[in-house]
Amino acid sequence: MRFVRCQFLLLFALVAALSLQAQAPPHPPPQALLNLQVPGPAADVSSPVTATAAFDPPVARVGESVFYRVAIDGATVDIAWPGAIPAPPELKFGRRSHGQLMQGLMNKFRPLASFLYEVRATAAGHFAVSKFVVEVRGQPVRIPAASLDVDNSAAGPPARHLTLEISQTNVFLGQPLRARVVLSASPSNTIEALREIQFNGDQFMSDKTTMRQAIEMIWRHGRATPAYVYEITLTPIMTGTLPLSAQAFTAGREFTGPMGITARVIIPDGPPHYVFLVSNPVQVNVRALPTAGLPAGFTGSIGTFALGPPQLSTNRIQVGEPVRLTVAVRSSGDLNRLVPPTLPRVPGWEIVADQPSGFSYTLVPLTDTVRKTPAIPFSCFDPAKDSYVDLTIPSLPVTVTAKGLPGDVPAMDAGFASGPSLKLSRLSPAPGGPAASLEPPQLRAGLVCLQTVPALAFLGWWQWDRRRRFLQAHPSLVRRREARRALRRERRRLRAASRRGDAAAFVRHATNAMKIASAPHYAAHPQALVCAEVLQQLGGAERSGATGATVRKIFAAADARFAPAPQTPADWPALEADVNAVLLRLEERL
Amino acid sequence: MKAAVLILLTALPCPPGAARAATNDCFADGVAAYRLGQFARAARDFEKAAATRPAAGTLVNLGLSEWQCGHAGPAILAWERARWLDPFDARARENLRFARHAIQVEAPGLKWFETLSGWLPAGAWLWLAGANLSLATGLMLLPGILRRPKAGWHQAMAAGALCVFLFSLTANVGVLSRTRLGFVLEDNAPLRLTPTRDGEVTATLTGGEPARKLRTRGKYDLIRTEYGTGWIDRGQFGLVSGQ
Repeated sequence: MRFVRCQFLLLFALVAALSLQAQAPPHPPPQALLNLQVPGPAADVSSPVTATAAFDPPVARVGESVFYRVAIDGATVDIAWPGAIPAPPELKFGRRSHGQLMQGLMNKFRPLASFLYEVRATAAGHFAVSKFVVEVRGQPVRIPAASLDVDNSAAGPPARHLTLEISQTNVFLGQPLRARVVLSASPSNTIEALREIQFNGDQFMSDKTTMRQAIEMIWRHGRATPAYVYEITLTPIMTGTLPLSAQAFTAGREFTGPMGITARVIIPDGPPHYVFLVSNPVQVNVRALPTAGLPAGFTGSIGTFALGPPQLSTNRIQVGEPVRLTVAVRSSGDLNRLVPPTLPRVPGWEIVADQPSGFSYTLVPLTDTVRKTPAIPFSCFDPAKDSYVDLTIPSLPVTVTAKGLPGDVPAMDAGFASGPSLKLSRLSPAPGGPAASLEPPQLRAGLVCLQTVPALAFLGWWQWDRRRRFLQAHPSLVRRREARRALRRERRRLRAASRRGDAAAFVRHATNAMKIASAPHYAAHPQALVCAEVLQQLGGAERSGATGATVRKIFAAADARFAPAPQTPADWPALEADVNAVLLRLEERL
Repeated sequence: MKAAVLILLTALPCPPGAARAATNDCFADGVAAYRLGQFARAARDFEKAAATRPAAGTLVNLGLSEWQCGHAGPAILAWERARWLDPFDARARENLRFARHAIQVEAPGLKWFETLSGWLPAGAWLWLAGANLSLATGLMLLPGILRRPKAGWHQAMAAGALCVFLFSLTANVGVLSRTRLGFVLEDNAPLRLTPTRDGEVTATLTGGEPARKLRTRGKYDLIRTEYGTGWIDRGQFGLVSGQ
């Protein structure tokens, strides 16, 4: 029975083991993953686009400024806005602005674009801007008609607009200025928030970190009025007279970010009604900083600043021990735009700016020869004084000791220990000997070759002298060379005589050529030779053969010129080939 | 004809003279700006003067101005160039010692023949080699050509000139080798594995760090430093020889 029970338990364990699996990771459904990937509501671009158009206010006097405002449920980039509005000529359309925001509609966003024109009526009457069509994402959207009654007896409220106030209108390039956008409360003391506040003009850079918003009382037309105020710091980045204006959408109770409320107002309930508003344009005159007298340590800070006395954490320190230098900065304006000085390299000190970067430094003395902290050059431009102000952090006396340090530490700083030998030199009083360029002459092939010219000239002279001496020692070589040259000359004359048919010249040149070819063997002048000596240069067989006969015949003809009746051999043209053969034989022996 | 020759003779010296005057003006302006503490302007003036006619004094002052502006790399390069032109310039030598000690960078490691080439200006070695080659050749050959017996001093001088020639040959090789020597101009200049803007950074170099240029590709130079070999943007590296 016990065995059966054990078998049953074993079987149960086996079956249980087969059914067991490793722990699988949680597998969320696809919809849950989709929710993770798309956490926010989608933008609605598929609903039908609607548009509204109206004048603000609908009733105005002649010459009074009103706004023609069109709002379209679409993105600005998708709208093909026309260049001109179909309006009667009595309505003068002026400055145009446009803006866009994303309005939250339950579970989706929808873009809202608004176009605004400043309009003035030149005559009284009832005027209307007829309906017209614009294309939004390629689809026609009808802009409804809007009418304006111009009546000089009307006394309605003025058009809603923003007020832009600038702290200064004459500033220097890079000088921060404070811009203030004000939306006054309605006559019923209702106040609305502003969204998508923008400053028109690419010439200004806004610093969002300096933004401040509040609902407070302001003085307007001689009485205190509650208003929504938005302040920010702008920095001009171009010079000249720059236009600046602001625009925003009213946003009901959609206040965002911290805000101070010091006025008693009514905040509207219900969904916001987004209305596009613009401000009056303001001209800001921006001048460039003077370039003359730019001091050391100027980092671009503009404002009225003053430095307090520098404070050292201690004035008795050891080599390598850090000491903290702190300087208080006072300013009547914004300190966010103050750029701290660039740290100088000073021998004997290591200077590290404390974090966050400001006017607090850690100084480490590297040697005990220093007696004061390094001065840190710094300056700023004071627009009130219209000049640069030197704010250099001055030196402070310190006592640096090296007591208790290992003996080898001074050796590591031997350069400074040697004292005055390591320091920057004074200015060189003169430029010094100028060079054509920094490129070394070794890279100029022509100049390198020029260096070898004298040596090559010496070698050439030496070679010429050797040859001269050799020829001096072997005159026969000179004679033979001259004989060959003279022989070539005589052969040319011989051929010329043959071509002319001049028998006498032929004989004379043939004789001369034979004498010239034989003369080097006798070290004698060619004209001193006779026929026998020429024949002597021929071999025995040639002397007695046709060659010898030709020589004799030529010499005989030459000697015949001394006869009373000189005669030339009648067959002399036939001798030309034989004479050439003789000359070739003689030339071979030269 | 005479007038043309006269004009030519008077016009020929004009361009160098005008250039020298302009250089001196820039130099004087630089000195004045430096004394007023306007170091950036002084550096610009000295740079202009050095670009027109490089001279050791101008380069020393350029280095001082750059140093006062906090640009250690350009300062060291300017002083090295001053020593390249005039190895006897004590101001450049002192300033280099000071700067290297202050920013803790090493002097370039030179081979023996490169050290030798630094004893005289680069151009002097070429002329020395040429003169001694001519002297040795002349002393060996001229007595024979002129039928004079070779005296002992002839041979001694020829041997001496030959030795100086061989000595200066090695110095000339050193000069050529040093033309590849340069210095990093900017602090934290990246040394990249490949000559591309997105190349992996293998080391970051300090301004004034010595390096040898191996070759060029695009706007990058392949250099060898003690931290390894890599590519650096050409604007961040300057050769002593100014090539």
